[in-house]
Amino acid sequence: MPLIFSPSPHIHTSRTTSGAMYHVIVALIPAILCSLYYFGLPALEVLLLSVLSCAGVEWVVTRFMLRRPSTLRDGSAILTGVLLALNLPSGLPWWMVIIGAVVAVGIAKMAFGGLGCNVFNPALVGRVFLLISFPVAMTAWPLPDPGFGDADGVTGATILGQLKMGLVSPDELPLMSMFAGNVGGSMGEVSAAALLLGFVYLLAFRVIKWYIPVAVAAGVIVVDLAAGFPPLVDLLSGGLILGAVFMATDYVTSPMTRRGMLLYGFMIGVITVVIRRWGIYPEGMSFAILIMNGFTPLINRYMRPERFSPRRKEAVKA
Amino acid sequence: MHLLIISSLLLGALGLLGAVVLYATARKFHVEEDSRIDEVEALLPGANCGACGCRGCRDFAVTCVSRGNLEGGLNCPGAAEGAMAKIAAILGVEASETERKIAVLRCNGSCEARPERYVYDGARSCAVMNGVGVGSRGCSFGCLGCGDCVAVCRFGAISMNSVTGLPEVDPDKCTGCAVCAAECPRHLLDMRPRGRRDRRVWVACSSRDKGAVARKVCASACIGCGKCAKACPFGAVTVADNLAYIDPALCRACGKCVPGCPTGAIHTTFKIIQKEAVAE
Amino acid sequence: MKKTFKKGGIHPAANKIADAGIRVLPLPSRVVLPLAQHIGAPARPVVAKGDTVSRGQLVAEGGSFVSAGIHTPVSGTVASIGELVMASGVPGQAIVINTTHESLELDEKERGEYWTRMETQQADRTLSDRFTAEELRSRISAAGIVGLGGATFPAHVKLSLRPDVKAEVLVINGCECEPYLMCDDALMRAYPGQIAEGIELMLKAAGIPRAVIGIEDNKPEAIAALRAALEDTPFNITVEVLRTKYPQGGEKQLVEAITGRRIPSGALPVSVGAVVQNVATAFAVYQAVAFDMPLIERVITLTGDIPESERANYRVAVGTPMSELPLTVPDDAKVILGGPMMGRPALCLEAPVVKGTSGLTVLADSRRRPVQPCVRCGACVDACPMGLEPYLLARYGELRMWAEAAASDVADCLECGACSYSCPSSRPLLDFIRLGRLRARDFAK
Repeated sequence: MPLIFSPSPHIHTSRTTSGAMYHVIVALIPAILCSLYYFGLPALEVLLLSVLSCAGVEWVVTRFMLRRPSTLRDGSAILTGVLLALNLPSGLPWWMVIIGAVVAVGIAKMAFGGLGCNVFNPALVGRVFLLISFPVAMTAWPLPDPGFGDADGVTGATILGQLKMGLVSPDELPLMSMFAGNVGGSMGEVSAAALLLGFVYLLAFRVIKWYIPVAVAAGVIVVDLAAGFPPLVDLLSGGLILGAVFMATDYVTSPMTRRGMLLYGFMIGVITVVIRRWGIYPEGMSFAILIMNGFTPLINRYMRPERFSPRRKEAVKA
Repeated sequence: MHLLIISSLLLGALGLLGAVVLYATARKFHVEEDSRIDEVEALLPGANCGACGCRGCRDFAVTCVSRGNLEGGLNCPGAAEGAMAKIAAILGVEASETERKIAVLRCNGSCEARPERYVYDGARSCAVMNGVGVGSRGCSFGCLGCGDCVAVCRFGAISMNSVTGLPEVDPDKCTGCAVCAAECPRHLLDMRPRGRRDRRVWVACSSRDKGAVARKVCASACIGCGKCAKACPFGAVTVADNLAYIDPALCRACGKCVPGCPTGAIHTTFKIIQKEAVAE
Repeated sequence: MKKTFKKGGIHPAANKIADAGIRVLPLPSRVVLPLAQHIGAPARPVVAKGDTVSRGQLVAEGGSFVSAGIHTPVSGTVASIGELVMASGVPGQAIVINTTHESLELDEKERGEYWTRMETQQADRTLSDRFTAEELRSRISAAGIVGLGGATFPAHVKLSLRPDVKAEVLVINGCECEPYLMCDDALMRAYPGQIAEGIELMLKAAGIPRAVIGIEDNKPEAIAALRAALEDTPFNITVEVLRTKYPQGGEKQLVEAITGRRIPSGALPVSVGAVVQNVATAFAVYQAVAFDMPLIERVITLTGDIPESERANYRVAVGTPMSELPLTVPDDAKVILGGPMMGRPALCLEAPVVKGTSGLTVLADSRRRPVQPCVRCGACVDACPMGLEPYLLARYGELRMWAEAAASDVADCLECGACSYSCPSSRPLLDFIRLGRLRARDFAK
């Protein structure tokens, strides 16, 4: 009957890192169902392919290249797969999805050392790689066809695309269908309502804090008001909610302190609107998040938590 | 065609401009460096272990050359045989080859002699385990077996023996830099002279517990009985605090202390020929 | 809104599952009295092997000002003075006293009479008038009283303020924020009057104008009992009900929760005009002054994964071997001296209960989960009550970067364990921060 011993503390929280991953996947279920409802079978194909290939890439890398025990069970590769799929248009050719998965997991994550070591959000790196390499396929947004049906293959520009080309004016947009999701776009960005449901779930289970999503919205509103553009259009369109709630809040690539998170989120909002209004792309969320990912180590370095103890005056250094 | 020529010329001109700027900068900021620094550095092991007291091998080389001599204990314990003499030659000073040292483990509490009494569940680090108490094997002086020494060795000279649960020093790879000795939270790695023909004798135990206590915990502990001190013809063995110690400066590696040890705590790097002992 | 400290903190399950009453354990036939039961210089034996000693006699005196004497809880003969294995498994100096059956019976009788007398004693509000502050401090010192919350800092030292130092408030720690432990709660419920008088005596001894007792809101019975006991006190003593949060019992956290002032890095509470003492210490001070009773008994909690009938608070003699406690340890278990957040593991159960033992927590299923990579979720940063960055400090510790750890204020860490507790990747954060904390002293500016 040997006694066990270890340094204190001897009790630990029941929360786990993989638990957080699965919580995020559960929080994405409403958005997944919505995209299946509007885009039908092709959406399901892209989703399954993306998840399977992300998991497959991670398994191959750990098994044959790093020769480490498999890390599939931590759920991060599956989550990357789901997020990547939700960032793609349904009906994307199958091989493009696989390329996206290889770039996302193989290059953006495993090449940096796996979970916790990556600088940039893997799913977004995959998406941006595809967007730059295959701009036509990546902007062929199928129009929604409610009812889980087979998509009829009709594609069109997203609302942001139409705005960019000057086809519509921001005041005549159908805000209600944008909220419900009956508009064209990538799989995950169609329904604001479903995404916000996921946001509430994540807050309720304390998986994420409100700082980043709210700061993103604040950044968008500030720039929009300054530029005289209706902020609600920007908030409800494109990948803003998906990005703000599910991508910008990725633990690994976002800052750790409250002040840092607020700055990070605010800057994402600002950069997104700047790209949307004055950039060449109709949508700037992915770029904004990736840019701020790059600043995360700096934010962590300079926005440290406030210490409990009042500091003695810093000694004058030469 | 026209466009092609223009762009080629433009890019070529840009490249040329860059080259000119680079050349000018290199000339302007060129620092005349003593070529001996590189020569000295080439003789060093390049492990940046810090055992010499400098911030790495390059710093050591710079220090040597700037001082122009090796006074003040300037020595690389990790350098290959004769390397310090060559460095001295580069500096144009008299060489004073110091005795080469090697790390020996002053614990023999193998899994067999000292079975595990408690189950450790903390971070796998000797320093951490040492902070919680006696250690999983019940000896408050002996090896904790988490391999902090293995982790800090820059020469790959220490490995964990999976049978004994103790670290082993590879004499061919050990350079005597003493980084492991500084790391071991129980100071079990002792830096000893390599000895003539690599013959070394040492007490493989550090327990200062009373004989009965030490023996209860570990079958091969030194119990401080003093038989070895009596056997030594050179007065190299002393017993203090229930622990024998063999002074390497006096020890002639004859091995006479070894056969009498009741717990087999004295280790040698050579075979003891029983006849010799009996003849005595 | 109830007060609490502002920064960080966690809410582990309280698990106050033991019986709140206090049971009495018989005196042991053999007591082991370690010489180092307190912070500071070890005590010096004043008896020799073979000497006869009687209950309450001083057997070792304080080695210096910051030290505490040790008294024997039983009459008998000194069997040995020498090295003995302590609870951590490491040998330490201790005095062993053997008793006989007859003397044990006499001791038990005397003990029973004393406790009945003490428990039935009417509150005497003039007790503190009968002594000068000097006399009180020397009585506290003579009784060998140390901080019984776990830190075991000699009590008389904290009450002897330098004349140029002005303390405004005596903070009495009744938080017991550690999960499982209930000994302070049990004391406050059973002896509120005695604790109140002990606080009055300490106020007088240190010359402090007022006292505040901080109790977490999960101990309503203790709060009510102390409030009732304080109704007719002539002193300015109040009870402050605090919002339950770990580590409220930390000195810096408790002073902030009650006074709103933050103790600077590396400074003592008195730098913001506060002196902190534990409720159990106040009880010991009362006994020392009113009855001249040295610290030879204390209340400990036996709790955790042991049979329900054993989970309770016990009044035991200091020096009782832990093997004589009613403790059925299951297989593959961990025995912790103190609570599960800051307690140290016990390896040798032959070792004695000492002054600083607040309880034994037995955890059957306490193996750590496998370590996963740090995902920089920030849970440790949120949990740290000192506003540090545990993920960073732990990394510095792992990589032996002591200077960097010192520059990131590792010395501020109070080792509360909130970071390791909250890490979803089960990383051993505190294990390595503790290393850095020890080594960072070399780099102190």
